[in-house]
Amino acid sequence: MSAAAPPFQFPSTYSFPPFFTPQPNSATRTSQLQKWSALVQSWCRHHRTYRLTLSDAIESPLFYNAALRKRLSMKDARDVLDWMTKEEEEGGGGQRAEWLDGSSKNVARIWWKRPEEWAGIVADWVENTGQKNVVLTVYELVEGEGTMSQEWHGMDTDVMLKCLNVLVKRGKAQVFGGDGQEGVKFF
Amino acid sequence: MATRRGVGIGAFANRNQTTQSYANHGATLRSAHLASLQTQLSVFQSLLHTFAVEHGSKIKSNPTFRAEFARMCNAIGVDPLAGSNVKGKNSRKGAGENASFWTQIMGGDMNDFYFEVAVRVVELCRETRSENGGLIGVEECRKRVGKGKAIGSGLEVTDDDVLRAVQSLGPLGPGLAIIRVGRKQYIRSVPKELNTDQSTVLEVIQVLGYVSVSMLRANLNWEKARAQTVVDDLLADGLVWLDAQGEENEYWSPQNLLDDSG
Repeated sequence: MSAAAPPFQFPSTYSFPPFFTPQPNSATRTSQLQKWSALVQSWCRHHRTYRLTLSDAIESPLFYNAALRKRLSMKDARDVLDWMTKEEEEGGGGQRAEWLDGSSKNVARIWWKRPEEWAGIVADWVENTGQKNVVLTVYELVEGEGTMSQEWHGMDTDVMLKCLNVLVKRGKAQVFGGDGQEGVKFF
Repeated sequence: MATRRGVGIGAFANRNQTTQSYANHGATLRSAHLASLQTQLSVFQSLLHTFAVEHGSKIKSNPTFRAEFARMCNAIGVDPLAGSNVKGKNSRKGAGENASFWTQIMGGDMNDFYFEVAVRVVELCRETRSENGGLIGVEECRKRVGKGKAIGSGLEVTDDDVLRAVQSLGPLGPGLAIIRVGRKQYIRSVPKELNTDQSTVLEVIQVLGYVSVSMLRANLNWEKARAQTVVDDLLADGLVWLDAQGEENEYWSPQNLLDDSG
């Protein structure tokens, strides 16, 4: 996160003291989890980050409101992310997060856009810039000058590969190579 | 011989006659009075009609003006809502002589306006039910409807419009109701009665921002058990949120949360 970036605008819920206590009422709890999920996603989006390390984040303004002196405990923050990883059918947050370190549950990928959404955006970009049937390296796609203005610029390569895989499955792209040398061709 | 007071059988007939003529005279007076009132009323209604037609667009576009107009209608017993409610039945037949007052003067736009507001209010109540337990302040509701969800979908309304819209849903059943707690009016979208203690606590929260059991005991002289039961009930209904990170559990009203939901 760069220092020049405008500060993150917290939603009004963030100044609501009970927001930091898990609500005993299940309906209220669901509403609370939705709000946390939205907050985590917009926080990550603002900072253009795709992974959240709980042990670091727990002291950051995201989970610690210094003005109110309220914080989300490690367990509660983990519960929020856990909820985000579940599908909506299971009463979760629609797979907006994904644990990257298995059962220790400390590092999570935050999908503030789902891979399918990214895939759509990338495909549109390819279409609009006339790069169909052109071979690009994944590095170029993520770090190249041509994508400076795109929202995915600077994205982790493995995240991009996941998104491209969606396009591969739809038959709209082909990924080849490996070990950080991946290339992609769009159809 | 017949005296004024009348004795004997004749007196009965006499008295009957007197009563009768009083009654007759009364009836005449009443009908004259009624006729004159009816004339006045019809004159007034036609004036109101002219006024409404003349200022129709302003009534539709300016919320303050609309509220004043509605208030005036109410004051003279022309209920715009009673009008809205019969509209549905008549709309298929076209605007017949039975068409509502509003339909007659505003060509149906006014009803549509309130129905539009009502739809948004219902939507909002449904969306926020898990957050606020089905109790939403009229003021918050108005702000939210005013903002709208998509760009340009904001609807500039007054509290009065919101109340009117909620009332217009009356015939559909008791799904939504207006209740008053302290100085504030709320729209209640779950069928639940608040008891006196619960209303009192919500009122205290309005004033102080939040409550705790010891605050209730100090301010209202309640037993601990009573205070605890009330807040537990409110919590179970989702009407308050718990903050357990202070020295004592604090109970907050979620009414100000609306800004960022959804």
